[in-house]
Amino acid sequence: MQIEREAWAVLLILLLAAAVAYAHVTTTTEEYSRYNTGWNGTSALPAEEVRDLRNLDTAATLLILAPDRPFTAEEVGYLRTFLDAGGRVVIADEQGAANSLLADLGSTMRVRPGNLSSLERDRADPGIFAARVVGNTSLFAGVGTVLVNRPAAVTGGEPLLETAALTWEDADGDGRISGDEVFGTAVTCAAEGNLTVLGDESLFINAMLAENPQFIENIQPVQVDRIHSGTGTANPIVNTRLWIQETPPAAAAVAALAILPVAWHFGRKRDD
Amino acid sequence: MAGAKKYYAAAVLAVWLIIIAFFMVLSRTLDLEVFFVLALIGLLVVAVLIDGAFSRPRYMRYIGYIIAAGVALFAYIVVQKILEILAA
Amino acid sequence: MNARASHTILAAAAILVLVLIGVQAVDPVLYAAKNISTAAHVDPATIQKRSIGDAASLVPLMDDLLGQTGTLALTIKLKDYESAERDLARYNELSRRFDRLVVTLDVSGTNIGEFQQNNRQNQDALTALLNDTRQFDALQRLEIEVRGDDEQHMTVVYEGEALRQKMRESFSAYAKREAATVRIAEHYDINATPYQESVDHFAEVADAANGWQEEINGNGTGPAQSPLVIAVTPVEGSYGDVLLIGGVHAGGRPGTPIDIYVDSRLAATAALDDDRAYVHPYQVGRILAGPHLAYATAGTIYSNVAAFEVLPQNTSITLALAEVNGTTVACTGNLTTDDARPVTQAPVLIRVDGDTLVAAETDGNGTYRKDIPLPAGEHALRAEFHAAGYPLNASESPTEIATLRGEGLSPFPFAAAIAAAAGTGWYLRRRRPEENTPAAEPEATPPPEAARPAPQVSIAGLPPREAATVLFCALRARLNLPKTKTPRDCARIAPAYAVFFERYERIRYAGETPSEEELMDMERIALGGDADRA
Repeated sequence: MQIEREAWAVLLILLLAAAVAYAHVTTTTEEYSRYNTGWNGTSALPAEEVRDLRNLDTAATLLILAPDRPFTAEEVGYLRTFLDAGGRVVIADEQGAANSLLADLGSTMRVRPGNLSSLERDRADPGIFAARVVGNTSLFAGVGTVLVNRPAAVTGGEPLLETAALTWEDADGDGRISGDEVFGTAVTCAAEGNLTVLGDESLFINAMLAENPQFIENIQPVQVDRIHSGTGTANPIVNTRLWIQETPPAAAAVAALAILPVAWHFGRKRDD
Repeated sequence: MAGAKKYYAAAVLAVWLIIIAFFMVLSRTLDLEVFFVLALIGLLVVAVLIDGAFSRPRYMRYIGYIIAAGVALFAYIVVQKILEILAA
Repeated sequence: MNARASHTILAAAAILVLVLIGVQAVDPVLYAAKNISTAAHVDPATIQKRSIGDAASLVPLMDDLLGQTGTLALTIKLKDYESAERDLARYNELSRRFDRLVVTLDVSGTNIGEFQQNNRQNQDALTALLNDTRQFDALQRLEIEVRGDDEQHMTVVYEGEALRQKMRESFSAYAKREAATVRIAEHYDINATPYQESVDHFAEVADAANGWQEEINGNGTGPAQSPLVIAVTPVEGSYGDVLLIGGVHAGGRPGTPIDIYVDSRLAATAALDDDRAYVHPYQVGRILAGPHLAYATAGTIYSNVAAFEVLPQNTSITLALAEVNGTTVACTGNLTTDDARPVTQAPVLIRVDGDTLVAAETDGNGTYRKDIPLPAGEHALRAEFHAAGYPLNASESPTEIATLRGEGLSPFPFAAAIAAAAGTGWYLRRRRPEENTPAAEPEATPPPEAARPAPQVSIAGLPPREAATVLFCALRARLNLPKTKTPRDCARIAPAYAVFFERYERIRYAGETPSEEELMDMERIALGGDADRA
């Protein structure tokens, strides 16, 4: 009896250690990743993921968050179909990677990446400040100001979010206006019909969801384009798990792998 | 079973350390000082529980020194934190 | 599964965990709380909130300032001097607040700084306009009284001429600033209409003075020429330059004191020499850049008005840090113009960590020195010169980092650690006195007899308490103690085995049950062993 108890204790310790390792290995620290439970992940954003741009549901808003992959001509066609059918597309980008997509879609809006900083703020960092809602759209209904986090400026289109007058582009990154930097208002969100370009991807990270609750509520229901958004992960274990979940044969194989040894152990005749 | 108590004590201490590590990894805050203090508490609890009143096995002989060193380090950490708070 | 297998598995698990940790060891900053910002965003939960600050009031304040110029110019034109005084006081108050805000927000390098300089000059111009208009009014009344007296009339005419020239020059400078100020106002969406109206009012006041002067000159041959002439050479200068202000008084006696005014403030008094000429070296000091006016009076005779221009110059300021002790840092530096001229008695601001401002002043050589107490750690310091009231451009030094050690390593934690270790040691020793006493004191009472060969007793299979009893009897027999001795007596007689007997006493009479281990020890002692357990 004693020996078996010892074995169980060892097994318990192993399980605990394995749980620790699992918890560490299945979450990441990549920016915007849905598997990042930290402050800069998007694990808390209530959204469903779509892998295919064909036949999208026009009732939900399509969110392209931090796009890092180019769109093929086919995909641009699907997007245009979606827009024409009345679906709403929100492109959140502050790196400028969406500019080629915007050009393909025939839009005049462009994202101008930079380091917008403002003097009129209530936090110690010049990159976090409140932008005023101008323009009339359901996306910002009931919202007076939106807290933005190091946004980029958006040119063209009908302005929806405007910064205060004492905002400047901090080219040398010293946190204060110096050299030949000038003050001026900037637009951080613009729209053309159903297509909205938001110059701040950071509005959707876990730490910022609580700062703009009305906006997050207005944008629901939302579907995130998994192929092109930066919400994936390079972690091979998470990707393997996802692949297993999506491919039914693989899931069946894993289940069989788990059940067979147990069945064999209890099924064979015990010779005492 | 001579020595069964020894193994149980070691196993309990190991499980306790793994539990602390688990919660630290889960909350993504690794703090060496907190880990050390919790480990010291575990060690003290285990030492008190396995201590026989009138017999001192070989593996318990030098635990006094380990505990004294641990408490000295703990006192150092505590006083440094107090000084930090006072200076702020 | 036997012990060996479980040991192997444990060892394998330990190695696996160490490998997993080792993989992370290359980049050990896992989940550190320092990881609060990336290029794309900052964690708002870790950024301190601060009060909204006054940045939001900057643009409205500029709006107020421009609006106030309109009101002030209007009241001056309407000759409502009481309201004008009140308006001027409010305008000065607003300007003071604006200056403070610009310095605190650190925006003097932008076009707001340019606006600030224009505003200061407007302030001076409007104050001068008010005083001049008042004086002009008094003059107009006086003129009517002295119409009969030619000589007195002439002095009035000269004074009127001086005032007219002043207002004209003042107005042209004011109008020159209009374009730049309106441009900046439009950049910030500020209503510049009141300001533009003020320029018109100013023009009207200057024209009215013009008209009156032409009237009293009658159909003369142009403006009257005062016997007292003033000129400034050279016509331009910058900070530190010496301009010669002088002239001739055609109708004066040598030795007459001549009062020289710069911008309606008395600058110096010179005496007429034998050639009826006077001269005064005027050093350009704390005076705004731009056009200025100088005139002289000899008693009641006013001279013409001479204009001279003060040119702005760039400055440079240096900052050097030296550690005085662990808690104070000494900041020294030089403030000089581009011509290597030191700026003396000038206010210098030292900005600590972007927020706190410490004031210092340069001495006669343009050097400043200030000791600043700071808490331990790294601090960023920058020296700034905001050229308020100087014909100089603002400048700032590069940011220097001061690292302060603080008060050094405190002895308290170490003392606490040593005390805690000593206390633990003392406590643990106190709990186990029986360990030391047998070892420490020499064998005072040797055991009654050396060991008799131990009786072979076996306690296998016996319940614990009975086993203990058997062992007790065995030991008692081995030590040749009479069977009548109780455990306590035995302990007294044979103190070397006192622990054993005391333990047995508790088992026998207090109902305690010995553990396996204790039984093993007791067996060892009873059947022949030493006081120290192995």
